[in-house]
Amino acid sequence: MIAYLTKRLGLSVAVVFLVVLILFSLLQLIPGDPATVALGPRATPEAIARYAEKMHLDAPVWQQFLIYAGNAATGDLGIDVFTERSVTTIILERIGFTLALIFVAMGWAMLLGIPLGCLAAVKPNTWVDRITGILSVGTIAVPSFLVSIWAILIFAVNLRWLPAIGAGEPGDTADQLTHLILPAFAVGLSWVGYLARMVRASMLEVMGETYIRSARAFGLTQRRIVFGYALRVAILPTITLIGMGFGGLISAAVFAEIIFARPGLGKLIFDSVMARNFPVVQGGVLVATTLYLGVVLFSDLLIAWIDPRVRDSL
Amino acid sequence: MDPVLDVSDLSVEFRTARGRIKALRNVSFSVQPGRIVGIVGESGSGKSTVLWSILDLLASNAIVTGGKISFEGRDMLTRSTKDMLALRGEDVSVVFQDPMTSQIPVLTYARQMRDILYRRDGLGKAQKRKMSVDMLDKVGIPDPEMRVDQYPHNFSGGMRQRAGIAMAMLTGPKLLLADEPTTALDVTMEAQIIHLLREMQRETEATVVVVSHNLGLIAELCDEVVVMYAGEVVEAGNVHDIFHHAQHPYTRALLECDPAQIKGKSHRLPVIPGDIPDLVQPPVGCIFAARCQRVMPLCLAQEPPLVEGEQGGYARCHLLAGPEQDSSWPPPPEVPTVARGAAATAGAKTISPEPLLEIANLNVKFNTMGPVWAKVRGVKQPWVTAVVDASIKVHAGETVGLVGESGSGKTTLARAALNLVGSQGGSVQFEGQGIRGMAESGFKRFRRDMVMMFQDPVGSLSPRKSVRALITEPMKIHGIRNVDPDREAERLADMVRLPKALLSRYPHELSGGQARRVGVARALALNPKLVIADEPTAGLDVSVQGEILNLMADLQAEHGLGYLIITHNLPVVRHISDRLAIMYLGRIVEEGPADEVFAAPLHPYTETLVCGVPQPDPDRRRTHMVVKGEVPSLLNRPQGCDFVSRCPHARPLCHKVVPPHVTAGNKRMHACHFPLGTVGTPE
Repeated sequence: MIAYLTKRLGLSVAVVFLVVLILFSLLQLIPGDPATVALGPRATPEAIARYAEKMHLDAPVWQQFLIYAGNAATGDLGIDVFTERSVTTIILERIGFTLALIFVAMGWAMLLGIPLGCLAAVKPNTWVDRITGILSVGTIAVPSFLVSIWAILIFAVNLRWLPAIGAGEPGDTADQLTHLILPAFAVGLSWVGYLARMVRASMLEVMGETYIRSARAFGLTQRRIVFGYALRVAILPTITLIGMGFGGLISAAVFAEIIFARPGLGKLIFDSVMARNFPVVQGGVLVATTLYLGVVLFSDLLIAWIDPRVRDSL
Repeated sequence: MDPVLDVSDLSVEFRTARGRIKALRNVSFSVQPGRIVGIVGESGSGKSTVLWSILDLLASNAIVTGGKISFEGRDMLTRSTKDMLALRGEDVSVVFQDPMTSQIPVLTYARQMRDILYRRDGLGKAQKRKMSVDMLDKVGIPDPEMRVDQYPHNFSGGMRQRAGIAMAMLTGPKLLLADEPTTALDVTMEAQIIHLLREMQRETEATVVVVSHNLGLIAELCDEVVVMYAGEVVEAGNVHDIFHHAQHPYTRALLECDPAQIKGKSHRLPVIPGDIPDLVQPPVGCIFAARCQRVMPLCLAQEPPLVEGEQGGYARCHLLAGPEQDSSWPPPPEVPTVARGAAATAGAKTISPEPLLEIANLNVKFNTMGPVWAKVRGVKQPWVTAVVDASIKVHAGETVGLVGESGSGKTTLARAALNLVGSQGGSVQFEGQGIRGMAESGFKRFRRDMVMMFQDPVGSLSPRKSVRALITEPMKIHGIRNVDPDREAERLADMVRLPKALLSRYPHELSGGQARRVGVARALALNPKLVIADEPTAGLDVSVQGEILNLMADLQAEHGLGYLIITHNLPVVRHISDRLAIMYLGRIVEEGPADEVFAAPLHPYTETLVCGVPQPDPDRRRTHMVVKGEVPSLLNRPQGCDFVSRCPHARPLCHKVVPPHVTAGNKRMHACHFPLGTVGTPE
C-alpha cells in the first residue's frame, strides 16, 4: 500500500514537472524578448528590467527553468504583471470560490444521480427507469452555459429568488451560499445525467451477478442488497469517472464564473489570458493541474480502500 | 412421517422472444426429514429451476403456471415477501455452485456471515462473530479467528467452498439446498467437499437436496435420487435402485455414458444420440422418445404411465406397463443399451515410430514483478516456474492425455509448445525441427501443421461471424485462395457431422456439442498433423461428450493425426488415450501407457487422481479421504518433492530432495523417490 502510494505520488510529481516544463517552454517559444512577451506590449521599460532581473533572463535557459521550477516548488509562482502582487496570493484568494463551486456542483449531482441510477437499475424497464433515462440524456445534452443563462433568466430575473452575479459579501456565509446555488446548479446538472446512466449500467450488471443471488438466497433485505452489496461494487467505476470529471469541471467552471461573474480560478485564468498576464496564466494552469492530479489520486486510493482485490494487488 | 419438502405438479415457464419455454412440467417429489435427495439431470433438464422455485428466486421472466411447493406443510408459492425473507437463509439455506462468483468480493467473511444473522436480534456483534468463527472452524478452515476477517479472494477455491458451506450452515437450516456444489472444483477437492457435506448433514440432521449432473457425486452423497430430463421427472427412487436397477431408458443410458463407470478401456464411448427437445413446443408422448434406443410408435403418441416399483420408487415408461410392456426390460446391468457407433475404420491404430512433437526439459517462467522492483525489494527470484523440466512426445496417430488439476501448468505447457507463451530452456521439436522460440514469421507455416483446439467452445468463436466464416477462417489467415470457401465449408461440416443448415448460424445459436464441432472443424480445416485439444469435453454433458471424442477418434484413424489432449478429467481421457502424462505443479510426475498408468499408478498423485473420482456406485462409497489439502501456490513450491505437502506416503527424503525423472522398464516414467507397488507401500 505504501509502495503504491509512493509510486503514485512520484508519478503525479513527474506530471506536474512536465506541465511546468511545457508552461515554461511555451513562453520561450514565443518569438521576441521573453520579458516583453511575459509582460505584454504595454509594459514599461522599468517593469521589463525588473522582470528580467527577477526572472534571471541573463542566465542560460536551463538555469532559468530550474529557478522557475524551484520557485514553483516552494510556492512562489511569480508576480502579477499589473498589480505586482504575488501570483500565489492572487490564486489563493480565488481558488476557494472555484473549489466551493466544483465540490457543491459535483456533490449535489452525486446525491441525486447515484440514487436515481440505483432506482432505475433496481426497477429496470419501469416508468421510473424510463423517466430517469430521458432526464439523463436531456441533462447531458444541454450545454452548461445555456443552463447558466436560463437559470439566471428564470430564477434571478423573472422570479427574483436568487442573486444573479457575484460570489456574495465576504464573511457572510449565507449570502455566499445563495450566490453559489445557481452556478452550482448549472455546472452540476449534466453530471446528474452522467452519474445516473453510469450507475444504472454498472448496477444492472452487478445485480445480475451470482453473489447478489446468494445474498437473496440468504434472505437479506432488498435495501441491504442494493446499498450494502450491489452499490459497493457498482460504485467503483463511477468513482473513477467522478475523479476524472473534476478535470472537466474545472473548465466547466470557467463558463459559470464568467456568466455569473464569480471571482474564481477559471475567471482569473480567462481574464489573465485576455490581458496577456502570463505569470498568472502559468500559475493558474499549474494549480489547476495539481488540483486535478490530486483528485484523481484520491479517487484511485478510494477505490483501493473499498475494493480489497485492488488493495491486495497493489 | 410428514415430508419436509413436498413439490407437487410444479410447472414453470420462461417468457422468451421465441415463445414460452415450458421448463418444468408437472414435477413432483417429496423429501423426508433427515434424508439427502439428489436431483440429477443434464443441462436443460430443469434441475436448477426446481431448486430456485423452492426459494422463489426464479429469474424475472419465469412464471409458475401450476403446482404446489410446501415446506413443513406450508405453501411456499403463496407466501408474502416478508415471510420469504424470514425463511431464506434461516430455515432453508443454499450451497452454491461456483464459490468464485457466489461470494461478494468486497466484504469480509465476518461481515457476510454477520449479515446472514441479521434476524437474530438477541445476539451482539461479538456473539455473531464467534458463531462465524466456530462455524468456519467446523468446516475445516484453519486459523478461523484470523481467516474470518479476510475476503473471498484471499481463500483458495476449495476453502471458499468450505466457507460457502459454513455460511449456509450458520443458521442451522432445516433444509439445505446444494446447487452443483463441486462442479467448479478439482477432483481432489471434490472428494473433500462431498465428505464435508455428508459430515455436516449427519451432525445437524438437516434435510438436503443436492442438484448435480455428476453421477458420482449423487451416488456418494444421496439416499434418494430424482432423475430429470427436459423438465420432467422420468424416474425417482432409492439410490441403490437407481444405480443398480434403473428402470427408465434415459436413466439407464445416462449411467452407461458415465466414463467413470466403464470398466476396462473403451476407445469408443457410448452416446445418447440427438439433442434435448425444444421446450417451446414439447413433443407429444414421451419426452425422451426422440433419443430413446427403444422407441416405439406408442411412445410418440401417448404419455407414458407412471409405474411404481417395489421400493417406493417410480419411473415413467411404456416398457414398464401397458400394451407394450416388455418383461425383459431392463436388461441386466452388464448388457449395454446404448450404442457406441461403429468405428469409421476398424482395426488397430497405426502409430508412427518417429515422434511428431517432442518436448524435452521445457521450462516456462512467469515474472511476478518488474526487474527494478525485484532489486528494490531484494527478491532474488521475481518469477514463478509454471512448467518445470517437462518432457513429452506425441507420435502421429497417437493420443496422449495430459492430465492435471487447475494450476498444474498443463495449458501453459501446450501454449509454450505452440510458441504462444515464451519458454525458458529446453527444446521443442516438430518432425525433428527445433521450433522453440522461433520468430512468428518463420513459425507461421508450422501453425498449419500443429493447431490448438481451445477450451471454451463458444467463447473462442467470434460472436459476429457465421459458422461458415468461422470454419473457413484458417484458410483466410494462411492466405489460401485456390479453394472455393463454400465448398470447403460444406466439406468440413460434413467431416465433423455438422448439419449444413447450421452453416449460416452464429455461435450463440449453437448447442454446446455443436459449438465443439465447429471448434474441431476449425482445427482440422488445414489438414494439420498435430492437434492440441484443451479440455475438449469441458462443459459438455456426459451423453454428448462421447460424440465429440468418438468423432475425434474417427478423424484420427482417417488422417493419422497426433493428439495431445489436455484435461482434468481422468476417467474420460483414459479411454481415448494411448499414453497418459500426469502433471502436478508444473512437473510431469508420471508418464506411460494409459492402461498401466491407470491400473497401477507409480506416483502417489496419480493414485490420488485415480481414486479421487467419485464412483457412480452407492456401494463403493469412500469412507476415508484420499488426500488432504489443496494444490499449493506456485509462489511457495514445497521443498523437495512438489507433492510432499499432501502425499500420504511422504518420508524424510521427500522433504529434502526433488525426485528425478526415472524411466522404469516398459516405457514408464515417474518422478517419485518411493514409487507405489515397489517398496512396500500400503495397498
